[in-house]
Amino acid sequence: MTAQNPIVFQIENLNLFYGEKQALKEISIAIYEKEVTALIGPSGCGKSTFLRVLNRMNDLIDSCHITGNVTYHDQDIYQPKTDVNGLRKSVGMVFQKPNPFPMSILDNLIYGPKCQGIRDRFLLKQIVEQSLKQAALWDEVKDRLKESALALSGGQQQRLCIARTIAMKPEVILMDEPTSALDPVATAKIEDLISSLKQDYTIIIVTHNMQQAARISDKTAFFLMGELIEYGDANQLFSTPENKKTEEYITGRFG
Amino acid sequence: MSNKRKAQDFLLQFWTYFAAFFSFATLSLIIFFIFTNGVKLLNLDLITHDYQAKTHIAEPLAPNDTDYFEPEETLKAEVYYSPRWGLGLIDSIDLMGKTQVEIAYVHPSSPFQQLHDKGLSHELLSLKPDMMIIRIAYSDQPSSLARYGAERMIDELALSNQIRELEFTIPGGGIRGSIITTFYLIVFSLLFALPIGIGAAIYLNEYAKNNRFTRLLRSFIELLTGVPSIIYGLMGLAFFVPFIINVSSATSGSILSGSMTMAVILLPVVIRTTEESLKVVPDEYRQGSLALGASKTQTTFRIVLPGAFPGVLSATLLAIGRIIGESAALVFAIGTAIKDDIRVTEQSTSLAVHIWAMMTDEPANIELSSTIAIIILLIVLLLNLLIKLLTRRFLRKVSAPR
Repeated sequence: MTAQNPIVFQIENLNLFYGEKQALKEISIAIYEKEVTALIGPSGCGKSTFLRVLNRMNDLIDSCHITGNVTYHDQDIYQPKTDVNGLRKSVGMVFQKPNPFPMSILDNLIYGPKCQGIRDRFLLKQIVEQSLKQAALWDEVKDRLKESALALSGGQQQRLCIARTIAMKPEVILMDEPTSALDPVATAKIEDLISSLKQDYTIIIVTHNMQQAARISDKTAFFLMGELIEYGDANQLFSTPENKKTEEYITGRFG
Repeated sequence: MSNKRKAQDFLLQFWTYFAAFFSFATLSLIIFFIFTNGVKLLNLDLITHDYQAKTHIAEPLAPNDTDYFEPEETLKAEVYYSPRWGLGLIDSIDLMGKTQVEIAYVHPSSPFQQLHDKGLSHELLSLKPDMMIIRIAYSDQPSSLARYGAERMIDELALSNQIRELEFTIPGGGIRGSIITTFYLIVFSLLFALPIGIGAAIYLNEYAKNNRFTRLLRSFIELLTGVPSIIYGLMGLAFFVPFIINVSSATSGSILSGSMTMAVILLPVVIRTTEESLKVVPDEYRQGSLALGASKTQTTFRIVLPGAFPGVLSATLLAIGRIIGESAALVFAIGTAIKDDIRVTEQSTSLAVHIWAMMTDEPANIELSSTIAIIILLIVLLLNLLIKLLTRRFLRKVSAPR
C-alpha cells in the first residue's frame, strides 16, 4: 500500500434535506488530494447533490439545509463566516451541459479572473494561454479567441468550461457528469484531459458511466438512495466489491 | 355526427379567417384614412417650420451696379425675377383670401442672403423660399406694398438702388417645436424610467424571495399597468409639476415634469418586460458564473443583465411607443401651449398633444392632424427598425454563426 495523499475534504455524518425530503443520509467520506474520485450510482441517488455540497452550490436552493460536518482543509465550510465566493474559486465546478457564457472565447476565460479584480492585461493573457493549454484547447482556438464561444462544438465548449475553471487556479475541480452530453470522441478527449489534470488538481467526478469511472478514477464511491454504500480504491471496488448492492449495480443487475 | 363536426369545424375555421381579415382591414382603413387626409400637407417645411409666424424688419446691403444674377435653376413661368437683386417673387393668396407676395427663389449670392435685423436681436437673417414679403421701403422712391402684387414689386425693385428696410414674414404652422419636444420627452422619460424599471425588475427576479411581500409588489405593478393615464396626469400635476417649479426656473408644467409623469406610466411596462427577459436567461449561466467564484451581484450585472439585453431593448421600444402616443397625461403635466423655442423647464407640446390642440381648435384641423399622425407613424416605424437592427447585431455577436 502506497502512502496516502493528504485529505482535502473530510465529511462526517452529513444529512441534507430539500424541505422535508431527505436527499443525503449520514454520509461520511474523505476525499484525497490529487486523485480522481468518482461518484457513481443510479439517477436520484444523491451523488450530484453531494457534489454540490462541496462548493455550496446547494445554497441556491432555498429549501435546502444540511446537518453534519463538511471540512475543507480542516475548515468547516458551512460556518456562517465562510467566504463562499472564495471557496468556489478554489473548488471549481464543471457542469453536465456545457455552459459557456454567450460571449467570446476570450471573454469567457477572463470573466472569472476579472471578477476577482485582475485587470493587468499581460497577466490575463498569460492566464488565457495557460488554461487553454492545460485544457488541451489552445491549438484549436488560438486563432479565434475573439469568436463567440457558442460557435464551438459541444466537446470544445466543455473543454472551454474546464479551461474557464482552471483559469481561476483552483485546487479542486468538481465535475457533474461532464461527458453525458457529448459523443464518444469528445468523451475520450475529456477523459484524457482528466487523467492529465490529476497531476495538479483534485478531481471529483459524478458519472453514470461505470466504464468511465473504472477507467479514470483512483477512488470510487457508490451512492444509493441518498446513502453511501461503498467507498474505496477503484480497482478493488470494481473487481471485488464488498457490498452485495455494489456488486449488483456494477454488474448491471439494477440501476 | 360527422356532418355536425364538419359544420362546427367549418364555422370555427371561418371565424379565425374572418377575424384575421377584419383586423387587417380595420388597420389598413385607419392608415388609409390618415394618409388620404394628411399626405397633402406632408412636406419638409411642415417639419422644419416654426408654429408661430414671425415678422422681421431688416436691411440688405446695396448691390453693385454691375451685379447681375442669372438664376441657377429654371424658374416657373409665373415667377417674376429681378436679376439685379437675385430675387424671384410669386403671387399667392393667404388663408383669408388677401393677395400676398411669396418668395419663390433667392440667388445664392443675392444681397438678400445677408440682412441686418433692425429689431432687437441684430442677428443676420436671409430670405428663403416660402417667406412672405409685406413691404419694401426704398431711400430713393415710394415703398412697394404686397397688396399690389409680385409683378409691380419686382418692377419697382428693379428701379431702386438702395433699400431702406424690408418687412417680411416667416410663415408659421410648422411642427418643428413639437417634434423636438417629443424627442426631449423620449430621452428624459427613458432616462428616468429605464434605470429604475430595470433595477426593480432585477430585484424582483434575482434577489427577492418568493414571499407575500414580493407577491404583493408584483400584483401592485400589474395593477398599475391598468390605471388610465389621465390619473397619472393628475398625479403629475399634483406632484411633479410643483416639484419642478420648486427646484428650477419653471413656472408651470414643463418637459421635465412631463417626463417624470411619463416615467411613472412607463415603470410597470419596463419592469414587466425586463423581468420576462431576465426569466429566460438560462440558469446555467448564473450557476456557471457563481461556480467561478463570482459574487451574486457580479453574476447579475455581468452575465444575466447582458443576456437580457434584447428584452430590455424591446422594453425600451414599448416605452417609446407609449411616450409618443400619450396625450391625456401630458396635457396636465406639460401643458398645451405649442412652442417653437423649446426649453425643458417650459411648457410645450408633444406631437400627440399637438394633434389634440389642432382637433380642439374651432374648426378642427383634421388634415394637419392626419399629417402629424403620418409623421408619428414614420417615427415609430424608424425606431422599430432601429431596435430590430440593434437586437440582430447583438444576437449575431453572442451566438453561433449559422
